[in-house]
Amino acid sequence: MEFGKTRGRVTPQELNPSSGPKPKRVPKMVGRRKKEKVKRKKNKANIEELKKEVVMDDHKLTLEELSRRYSVDLTKGLRPEKAQEILDRDGPNTLTPPPTTPEWVKFCKQLFGGFSILLWTGAILCFVAYGIQTYFNEEPTKDNLYLGIVLAVVVFITGCFSYYQEAKSSKIMESFKSMVPQVDNSSLTGESEPQSRFPHFTHENLLETRNICFFSTNCVEGTARGIVIATGDSTVMGRIASLTSGLAVGQTPIATEIKHFIHIITMVAVFLGVSFFGLSLMLGYSWLKAVIFLIGIIVANVPEGLLVTVTVCLTLTAKRMAKKNCLVKNLEAVETLGSTSIICSDKTGTLTQNRMTVAHLWFDKTTYEADTSEEQTVNTFAKDSDTWFILARIAGLCNRADFKPDQETLPIAKRATTGDASESALLKFIEQSYSSVKEMREKSPKVAEIPFNSTNKYQISIHLREDSSQTHVLLMKGAPERILAFCSSYLLNGQEYSMDEEMKEAFQNAYLELGGLGERVLGFCFLNLPNTFSKGFKFNTDEVNFPMENFCFVGLISMIDPPRPAVPEAVCKCRSAGIKVIMVTGDHPITAKAIAKGVGIISEGTETAEDTTAQLKVHVRQIDSRDVKAIVVHGSDLKDMSSAQLDEILRNYTEIVFARTSPQQKLIIVEGCQRQGNVVAATGDGVNDSPALKKADIGIAMGITGSDVSKQAADMILLDDNFASIVTGVEEGRLIFDNLKKSIAYTLTSNIPEITPFLLFIILGIPLPLGTITILCIDLGTDMVPAISLAYESAESDIMKRAPRDPKNDKLVNYRLIGMAYGQIGMIQALAGFFTYFVILAENGFKPADLLGIRHDWENSYVNDLEDSYGQQWTFEQRKILEFTCQTGFFVSIVIVQWADLIICKTRRNSVFQQGMKNKILIFGILEETFLAAFLCYTPGMDMALRMYPLKIFWWLCAIPYSILIFIYDEVRKFAIRNHPGGWLERETYY
Amino acid sequence: MAALQEKKSCSQRMEEFRHYCWNPDTGQMLGRTLSRWVWISLYYVAFYVVMTGLFALCIYVLMCTIDPYTPDYQDQLKSPGVTLRPDVYGDKGLDISYNISNNRTWTELTLTLHNFLAGYSPASQEDNINCTSHKYFFQESFRAPNHTKFSCKFTADMLQNCSGLVDPSFGFAEGKPCFIIKMNRIVRFLPSNSTAPRVDCAFLDQPHGDGRPLQVEYYPPNGTFSLHYFPYYGKKAQPHYSNPLVAAKFLNVPRNMQVVIVCKILADHVTFDNPHDPYEGKVEFKLKIQK
Repeated sequence: MEFGKTRGRVTPQELNPSSGPKPKRVPKMVGRRKKEKVKRKKNKANIEELKKEVVMDDHKLTLEELSRRYSVDLTKGLRPEKAQEILDRDGPNTLTPPPTTPEWVKFCKQLFGGFSILLWTGAILCFVAYGIQTYFNEEPTKDNLYLGIVLAVVVFITGCFSYYQEAKSSKIMESFKSMVPQVDNSSLTGESEPQSRFPHFTHENLLETRNICFFSTNCVEGTARGIVIATGDSTVMGRIASLTSGLAVGQTPIATEIKHFIHIITMVAVFLGVSFFGLSLMLGYSWLKAVIFLIGIIVANVPEGLLVTVTVCLTLTAKRMAKKNCLVKNLEAVETLGSTSIICSDKTGTLTQNRMTVAHLWFDKTTYEADTSEEQTVNTFAKDSDTWFILARIAGLCNRADFKPDQETLPIAKRATTGDASESALLKFIEQSYSSVKEMREKSPKVAEIPFNSTNKYQISIHLREDSSQTHVLLMKGAPERILAFCSSYLLNGQEYSMDEEMKEAFQNAYLELGGLGERVLGFCFLNLPNTFSKGFKFNTDEVNFPMENFCFVGLISMIDPPRPAVPEAVCKCRSAGIKVIMVTGDHPITAKAIAKGVGIISEGTETAEDTTAQLKVHVRQIDSRDVKAIVVHGSDLKDMSSAQLDEILRNYTEIVFARTSPQQKLIIVEGCQRQGNVVAATGDGVNDSPALKKADIGIAMGITGSDVSKQAADMILLDDNFASIVTGVEEGRLIFDNLKKSIAYTLTSNIPEITPFLLFIILGIPLPLGTITILCIDLGTDMVPAISLAYESAESDIMKRAPRDPKNDKLVNYRLIGMAYGQIGMIQALAGFFTYFVILAENGFKPADLLGIRHDWENSYVNDLEDSYGQQWTFEQRKILEFTCQTGFFVSIVIVQWADLIICKTRRNSVFQQGMKNKILIFGILEETFLAAFLCYTPGMDMALRMYPLKIFWWLCAIPYSILIFIYDEVRKFAIRNHPGGWLERETYY
Repeated sequence: MAALQEKKSCSQRMEEFRHYCWNPDTGQMLGRTLSRWVWISLYYVAFYVVMTGLFALCIYVLMCTIDPYTPDYQDQLKSPGVTLRPDVYGDKGLDISYNISNNRTWTELTLTLHNFLAGYSPASQEDNINCTSHKYFFQESFRAPNHTKFSCKFTADMLQNCSGLVDPSFGFAEGKPCFIIKMNRIVRFLPSNSTAPRVDCAFLDQPHGDGRPLQVEYYPPNGTFSLHYFPYYGKKAQPHYSNPLVAAKFLNVPRNMQVVIVCKILADHVTFDNPHDPYEGKVEFKLKIQK
């Protein structure tokens, strides 16, 4: 507790857990410290307990009571030995750093998380199968061993890749941090205003009362003495920090989706495996063989390339988002933003520009609007009124702010200043719209001054008059009601009139109007001192020796931290995209509401219950809450609400502003939204926001103003602090979800032509049409670039005009997608492959009918005179070469039908003719897979390396009719879907 | 998302699964009502019927385009494979061993030869004609009955001492066993330009034992496949065609030790140096005769 007397601007220090004790800790009087531990339950602190507001009554006590409670002398402080004792008990005044995840744990998470599990399982099954084979000396082929190794290598490399990616984005984050100087910003309560501190108890709420200072805030002005009532983790800040590290974080939506996908794939694989296990036993295969088949089929269902594809797609999007100023720390968070249905946004700095700007002026009984846009390059305010000239001079001269040196090249709005926010705003405004303040000050040098303080609420400066260097003018600015009290006359168009009731009423209306806009209003007046105060007169500001009455009122200037220019549009986009934007701020409800209205969070024409009551002059209770769509909730009301009440508010109101909230309440709001089944994005910059950032499905920290702790807790960082960037992030997130669907559909389709050869090999006893190596060539070779190229596909319709994805029903991979990929397109592809296979065999002498049941002899390396349909006899090696040629043919056919598959996967509803072929990467993908296939097929030495053999040109063409068939079939299907929205085909096949 | 992330107990999961299998409220089984199941099944049945039809059509077209007498491509059969009878395989290829004094060890081998030569009895060669020209027997037209071409006779007795007629034990009993070497058929394949292809057997790694080369008696004499058995016109044109054979009788196989013998076919168009195919143009086998 501090009993100070002057204003103390309270700014959050960097709460970098690694940086140890900060030099400036509040209160400053380290010698007289008294520590008190509220409750120390180490890291096992009860989270629910922490979420509640700090309960403390120290601020309600008188100084005497306080000194008794902490047995501390108010003037001398604690005895050194007592202080030492307490220090030993409680430890130093530092925060326990949050447990950081060791790098190897992060790496293992990449290696064994999500998709990787599927591939690891596949690899282990392969090794098991190989083990069985070698143990029982069954057909000593090493395919299973190789497959297992390849799977393991793929997972390992992908793991390394995504680990590297994430490490890189955290490095970008760090470099960014070092580039940007830390900026003073909002305090614990979210207010960017300096606050005065004095020993009296003013408010029940610990955060609002004026006699408490908090850990990690700076005293910017004045001196004070205080009593330390808490240190380290038991401070308010410490509680927030431990709350953040203790929060359990849920899965990202994409992780849930991938889990769901793994379920489906596993089900399909086990179903296929078990049914063919039974079938092969019925066909008379031995148990051992059947088990090998079972494992083989299950492993064949593993889409080897998908892990890589998904990782690369997410990485590409993350890169694209980084270009648009959204830096994603965690790859999976890329998509989360797309699923977001509620954004809990901060006000200061995110929605607003975080700088005070003159918004309105009132003089000559008229309100004038000033330009508040971010780029104030032109002279924004040029009024031809004498009153304006005087007002401008007062604002410029009675002003302690100044530009920092060496900034002449910068635009005025961008220059750094000394002095508080309001004065800087005035300075910049006058410099911009009137004339150089520096010249003005040189012409009329200041001779005396009474600085602003919270008791007087005014500021006076006395200057030599410009026109006659003999006389002085007294300029004054301050709280409008205080200023008016000093005035006996007023200026109207440069003429002085004596104050009348009409003017007072006009003043009151203007003051109310500007205040109602959430703006900070200052009044301005002046007094020409008589000649008695000639040059050289010693003005005494302590024992005022100059007149302090009969001032002449000039006007009002109001200031606001204006909304960022792109924000209203972004909020509007969010709304049309079905995303609810909730403002959560520590600011006053009036300011909050004004900004909310300004940016469209409370849309035009929508009124809160209070507005309606004011108009209809009825009590709030009498208004049917269903008619009211907007609400401003005060933090103190929120404190008393049960979660059911909060849920009700979140459900019933579409436009919500939470004002005067505490950090814990932000967390409660986020949790409330999540309880409704929403995917919540939360923005924040301060340490106080970090619990909410961590708890939210996607926490968004501010890159420029954000504290390290908030960046650490967040999943994403807005490099330009601009809310509008979130919207582009949402767009990218939604696009990647759609495109991942397409990519997965594409990749899964080729699974069927990869599995069916093995199945028919078992059932029909034909030579194996597609081997493990060729399967891997497809999955990890030719399919890779095309699948990734789908990430570059543009959206089919305006994705920002539809509601956010319903995470319960709109799955990444659903049965319809599996049905299309496996049941339909995949089957056609398999037919294409088999056709090529039969063509090659038939043209070489083995007609299809003679192949049935040939497996036993075909696979027998002792049969070296196997007869074909023409009576020719083949040695084992000769027919194996033929078999591998067929496998190459099958492989090439899959590549060719995948052309068509790629083109149909470009769209889910539109025709490709509507979508166009603008995706250059996709065209490159088609060419690449074709060239790769040709390379694998024709490069000398491939016959030995991969057992792939050159094909006759004609065999490349066999699959083309099927390619055309796929294209036509799917175009017809999509045509039907487009023309019968909600029809049967859409319900059953639209994925 | 909180709602999605609740930890579910096992019984809850089971209940959910049961609800999925049969949902009494909506009448859905496994996520679909009965009528929707019927419709989707019908759709898939129709889809597969159409696709199978198209595939069958493709195969039909394929079969129509294929020449019934000659395969379109024979580049995988540039050189014929060679096989050996009797064929007993060990861990690595052909591996024949027997004990002269124990006739049970070789009756199986001679039985294989007898069975193999059954296809070369005069009765089974009845439909084939006698050829004597020792030149390629080209037939451009189908003069044989049933629109076929003639095939030349090859009867077991041409193998003389190794025919099994003179010595039913094929020399196994006396330790001078006969092995029959067969060249694989390839449609329209001409093994050489003018001379008849000849079998040549030798120890693989000379000098062996006492350093003497392998002494072989070939039947028919010189170990040649007469040119009139070539070219082969395929199963449809020559349904009764039988491969010509050469028998090799090894006279000086050392006893009680394993020797490796390779029999090559010497002809202009037969290669035996393919490192990947041990049975192309030659046959290698291990032989161990115990006493």
